[in-house]
Amino acid sequence: MEIKEIILVIEDDKAIAKILTAALEDSYKVIVSKSLEDAYRKFTSFNPSLILLDLGLPDGDGKEFIKRVRELGDKPIIVVSARFDEKEIVNCLDLGADDYVTKPFSIKQLQARIRSTYRRYERHMSPLDNRVVCQELSVDLVSRVVMKNETLIKLTPTEYNLLKFMIVRPNKVLTHQVILKEIWGVGYQNEMQYLRTYINSLRKKIETDTTRPKYIITESSIGYRFCCNEEEH
Amino acid sequence: MLKKYKFHLVLLFVLLFITLISHLFRTDLEVINIALIHLLPVILVALRGDFLLTIVVTLVTLVLFDLLYIPPLYSFDVHDIYYIWSFIIFILVGYIITWQAKKIHSNQIKEVLLNALSHDLKTPISSILGNTMILLDKEEIQDKEGLLEIKKSSEKINRLIANLLDSARLQGDFVKLRFDWCDLEDTLGVALQEFDSSSIDKIQIQIEPNIPLFWGDCTLISRLFVNLIDNALKYTEEREKIKISMYQQDKEIHIKFFNQSKVFSKEDLKNIFDKFYRLDNAADISGSGIGLSICKNIVDLHQGHIQASCEEDGLYFIIKLQILKRAFMIDKEL
Repeated sequence: MEIKEIILVIEDDKAIAKILTAALEDSYKVIVSKSLEDAYRKFTSFNPSLILLDLGLPDGDGKEFIKRVRELGDKPIIVVSARFDEKEIVNCLDLGADDYVTKPFSIKQLQARIRSTYRRYERHMSPLDNRVVCQELSVDLVSRVVMKNETLIKLTPTEYNLLKFMIVRPNKVLTHQVILKEIWGVGYQNEMQYLRTYINSLRKKIETDTTRPKYIITESSIGYRFCCNEEEH
Repeated sequence: MLKKYKFHLVLLFVLLFITLISHLFRTDLEVINIALIHLLPVILVALRGDFLLTIVVTLVTLVLFDLLYIPPLYSFDVHDIYYIWSFIIFILVGYIITWQAKKIHSNQIKEVLLNALSHDLKTPISSILGNTMILLDKEEIQDKEGLLEIKKSSEKINRLIANLLDSARLQGDFVKLRFDWCDLEDTLGVALQEFDSSSIDKIQIQIEPNIPLFWGDCTLISRLFVNLIDNALKYTEEREKIKISMYQQDKEIHIKFFNQSKVFSKEDLKNIFDKFYRLDNAADISGSGIGLSICKNIVDLHQGHIQASCEEDGLYFIIKLQILKRAFMIDKEL
């Protein structure tokens, strides 16, 4: 018998917990916690491989949970948030959450997010290939050659760095601050016009339709996500 | 108990402290500086937004000030009419700050309430939508029309709630805007993500290259686009097209939304942005008439201009956004 991965769902609303269980139990073993206290206990006793976390819990802030889990190690966390409060989401991502979905969420999207988070963690374990492929796009990390459908794409150094940083983190939401700090350095975290300008010029080179991009997806007020599988759409 | 009166204790301590300081250094400080020092507890208490407390503290401060520093000392007499003005200014400062603070406080309460409401409304909708999706995926259910109807309706409710909450948030004097550099093409792209592909296929988009970054609240501007697209979709027949164009004109960015439609009267066009105003023939078209009033709110908050006009082939919405702040040019790499 195949051993299923264990997902810990921390959610105090019964109806939502039920849907999450129904949507996930075919592929995973689902354990539900209704409070932070209980979640800490179940986290240690079941050792789940992924956590779905609702932020508004009766006995405290879900952010505390992220902090505690991050101290203990590298477990993927996906935040489920009821209100679309960008600041709150950015805070969670900064604390180390891997991804987020907002209510009402689509089941398909949530399943896709879980799968790509797992995939990222698996890949994290193995060394990076020299060549990264994403849909029609391929990047050779050694020779710095970028191709789309066998056509060479010429990028400036900054555009290349930006593309490389994102494409090796497929489907992960990357906050503005994280990208700015990585590409331009400490002290540039708030220089949004750099990021907007270069994302715009990079899109012009790699996207077919820049208004409806299929690679660089904007997460309003949060950051960008480099989309590598069709199912994310 | 002690916690409740913590602020009062702090206040008492501040009063004692400034009296001590003023008294020790009264010869060096002069009356004007002592007066300014005495304004501190007044401002401190006024920030709480509690009128009664402000009045009490202002009076106590004034009495102390008058008794200890205004000649004749240790009496309530005031010889110089000039000091009466100082007293009035004290009271005025206390009043104005309390009044403003009260507004800000009520706004914070509103924000908390709206967030709670949003949570309480969205959780059950997630449940309805989620369960519907799970049922839709089940092969043994053959007639899925009813389920699709439920799904569509819940999505409609969801958008309606978003609009109502937006509308409530955008009222009042202390609207919290989050200004940032927006790539308007990108912002429009974000708005398009909210619609299904069959709707998006109806939309033709034309964007002039090299539109500068715009300094604004990107999330709100994308809400503006969502509402205008939603509105255009509601009034467009099958096979009719919606056109969106964006271009720069002098110091303004213009965004034009067009959909084919019948001719509207001048009256209709003038009132189209009023809350709950709906066109007479729109009885069968869903919506509460709140979307366009939000659009006007958002454009106003950016000191822009939005206008509806009717030409023979259809309805135009033109948004004119002034470029008030320019992004500095970033050196282009080769």
